[in-house]
Amino acid sequence: MGAREFSIETQDLTRVFRVKRREARGQTREVVALDRATLAVERGELFGVLGPNGAGKTTLIKILATLLSPTAGTARVAGVDVVENPWEVRRHIGMVSGGESSGYGLLTVEENLWMFSQFYGMRSGEAKKRIRELLEVVGLADRAKTKIYHLSTGMRQKMNFARGFLTDPEVLFLDEPTIGLDVQTARTLRTFTRGWIDDHPDRTILLTTHYMYEADELCDRVAIIDQGRVLACDAPAALKRGLQGEAVFRLTVDGDRDLGPLLGRVDGVQRFAHAARDGHTELDLILADENALVPVLTAIQGAGARLLSLEKREPTLEDVFLRLVGRSLTEVSEGGGEPPR
Amino acid sequence: MAVNLRAETLTFLRTAWGRAYPRVVGMQREKSWMLFDVFLPLLQVAAYVYIYRAIGAPPEFTGFVVLGGAMTAYWMNILWSMASQLYWEKETGNLELFIIAPTSRMAILLGMAVGGIFATTIRALGVLLAGILVFRVPMAPTSVPALIGVFLLTLVALYGMGMLMASLFLLWGRQAWHIANLFQEPVFLVSGFYFPVRALGFLVALGASIVPITLGLDAMRQLLYPQMMEGFRFLPVGVELGALAVLGVGFLFFAHRALRFFENLARREGRLTLRGQ
Amino acid sequence: MGEARMGHGERVTARPSRLAESWRSLKVAAWLGWQIESNWTDPFLFAVYSVVKPVAGALILVFMYLVVARGGLANPLFPYIFVGNAFYIYVNGVLLGVSWAVIDDREHYGMLKYLYAAPLNICTYLVGRGVAQTAIATVATAITLLFGVGALGIKIPPGGVDWGLLAGALVLGLAALAFLGLLLGGATLLTARHNYFVGQGVAGALYLLSGVVFPLDVLPQGLRWVGKSLPVTYWLEAVRRALLGDGGNEALRALPTGTVVLILALSTVVLAVASVLFFRWAERIAHRRGLLDMQTMH
Repeated sequence: MGAREFSIETQDLTRVFRVKRREARGQTREVVALDRATLAVERGELFGVLGPNGAGKTTLIKILATLLSPTAGTARVAGVDVVENPWEVRRHIGMVSGGESSGYGLLTVEENLWMFSQFYGMRSGEAKKRIRELLEVVGLADRAKTKIYHLSTGMRQKMNFARGFLTDPEVLFLDEPTIGLDVQTARTLRTFTRGWIDDHPDRTILLTTHYMYEADELCDRVAIIDQGRVLACDAPAALKRGLQGEAVFRLTVDGDRDLGPLLGRVDGVQRFAHAARDGHTELDLILADENALVPVLTAIQGAGARLLSLEKREPTLEDVFLRLVGRSLTEVSEGGGEPPR
Repeated sequence: MAVNLRAETLTFLRTAWGRAYPRVVGMQREKSWMLFDVFLPLLQVAAYVYIYRAIGAPPEFTGFVVLGGAMTAYWMNILWSMASQLYWEKETGNLELFIIAPTSRMAILLGMAVGGIFATTIRALGVLLAGILVFRVPMAPTSVPALIGVFLLTLVALYGMGMLMASLFLLWGRQAWHIANLFQEPVFLVSGFYFPVRALGFLVALGASIVPITLGLDAMRQLLYPQMMEGFRFLPVGVELGALAVLGVGFLFFAHRALRFFENLARREGRLTLRGQ
Repeated sequence: MGEARMGHGERVTARPSRLAESWRSLKVAAWLGWQIESNWTDPFLFAVYSVVKPVAGALILVFMYLVVARGGLANPLFPYIFVGNAFYIYVNGVLLGVSWAVIDDREHYGMLKYLYAAPLNICTYLVGRGVAQTAIATVATAITLLFGVGALGIKIPPGGVDWGLLAGALVLGLAALAFLGLLLGGATLLTARHNYFVGQGVAGALYLLSGVVFPLDVLPQGLRWVGKSLPVTYWLEAVRRALLGDGGNEALRALPTGTVVLILALSTVVLAVASVLFFRWAERIAHRRGLLDMQTMH
């Protein structure tokens, strides 16, 4: 077996933005969007980048897709340096951004797709055939002749999805591809994505998401990213196995309570997150082992709270994130953690 | 890596046609352009015609105005559909897809230009035709091939300028819109859209010649109204033709260079995808 | 926004009066319009930008006179034409400001559908979006007039100006333009974005029909009657009479100044009713056809 082939490699990739300070005219402050990110994605992988909003996922994709220069570090896509030779990189890539509204409203779905195919030099006949196939796959065939300003958000996203796959790119970047979509549409697109990479082992997909479930279900490997830093990178199962020695519980207690200070003092509590839900408080706990549960329950009882439910769970990527960051992904993403399954 | 010239050329042509397509088709889909882009501007041209009538100008001056009015269509097209277009493309999310496509930016701009020229020529012809029919504008060119040559060279230089402006505007956000807006009336003035540019004085006319329409209009007026232009001639037609050719080549060359330069600069500064400015 | 308490502890929000809603819409739109118009560059460049554009428009006319007119700028027609041209800056500014807001909010900022979902008076909102352009037009008009007086020898002695007439005509004229802008806003709701914006296009038509840069008498009979039915014609006539003592239009000379103002007021009222009705009709069509978030840039 030869050396591993990496479709995407980054080394200490950093991007700093200078943002104008509103309070001080003419002055700027620096915002580190990506902080020494090092990744290696193998050919044939569906690689996920999981992190909350503002973690640096889109910045990473923009750099890899040659839309943004890094401040420091290096990045190679399909073996080509994105700074040295962006032109060559573009021959190998495609990109779909969630929630984008690209295209011309006056053109129909198939006309928009055809136009983009021409930018890639596709023969017109071949492009039209492929467009028909892709629209069929994403369930948009009956809208092929519809002007795109008449499309719903979900339909538009399906069209953008089809555009990303239209040119059969060697490396495809999917930036939050299911954001804001209904359950059925999100499922259709996820199924198609997984099927495509399985059918094309010589292709690579890098997908960013803040949906834990999406990363877990779809990706061969996942990098967890927060505040521009890559905190962990492995297969979802391996990441979860990292919590195997610990015990993961979900508790519900009555009322909207701030139990943070209390739990912080209990021995054996590694991490915790709490969220108000339906007038109760939901606690996610990572404990050193199951023995730590008794002091937790005692503390809760001592605080006058009534335990409504208790569940021992298998670890999820959400727990991995909580373990690494100290906050839950849902909490950080402000309601965006639950995916449209 | 060996460059496949044939494939590159085909991609260039396909890109240009792909980008021209929305403009050509858009005209058919939204027919309101006939009102907005032909009829209403024609009324403004008519206003200038009546100014000359009010102050007792010879009929050739009506021809000056109608010709200027027809060329106004191209200047507006350059400003609003070339120079500031990439700003709109950025705002609507298309620019990043143009950038990551493995194709020439010049091809995309050429597509915009070709599509724009097609639509704009119809509008310009509308103004000319109405001028001839309604205002009985006299048209007796001394040399039709020279007239066509001047017109085509003017378009090449003008759209080359549009490409250069588009690349400069790549860096800007809302400023692009305002700068395009700022250029509108002052260029109507300094390029002599409604009067012979020589009236501004030789030096001003020379400075204004950076906008190809200045030379193009002067040359076309000389070819159409030689006697009336005798007192207003800016430069000999041959010199103006040569200057237009130089401008055309120069603008295209600099547009090509500027596109690459400003794209890199915008990428470094993170402005390629910055929206809602 | 006021609150009222109902039985069973249920709280409902009391709807503000229509007048309060309209005023709030106007205020927020004026603020927004000013932010959009002014904060794209530093104040100096903004000032230059606001002045260069209209002054260039005025200079086109100057050179047309210099090239052709007997007596050049001393031609007796010139002061009337110059003043008409200076105040025409308002026509472009207000019409473009109000109607462009529809395209800007629909296709650029994607806000139009949200405006319709908000408790706003969309008509006063659109008029409010034109306030910034009106303010800029006021400065540009003043500078153009000063340029005319200082550099081109146009005589407007402050003591000879009928300030009351000028102020009244300005208020009525701006109201007429705002309603015309609203009418165009309605048309824009149903149409695509083009090179020529509808505001510019109609302003161009008014340039021809309202006797801005030549006396109405020059127009053919049919067009002269169209001109005589437009409030902008009477607005410019009143402004010229206020500044120069005479309107310069032979066709309107027989009318006393009071009658000119009365016609301006009445035609503004007619225009206001027509504009609001047309705008509401266009709105209904746009809702029915789903045009509130269309994208027509190509």
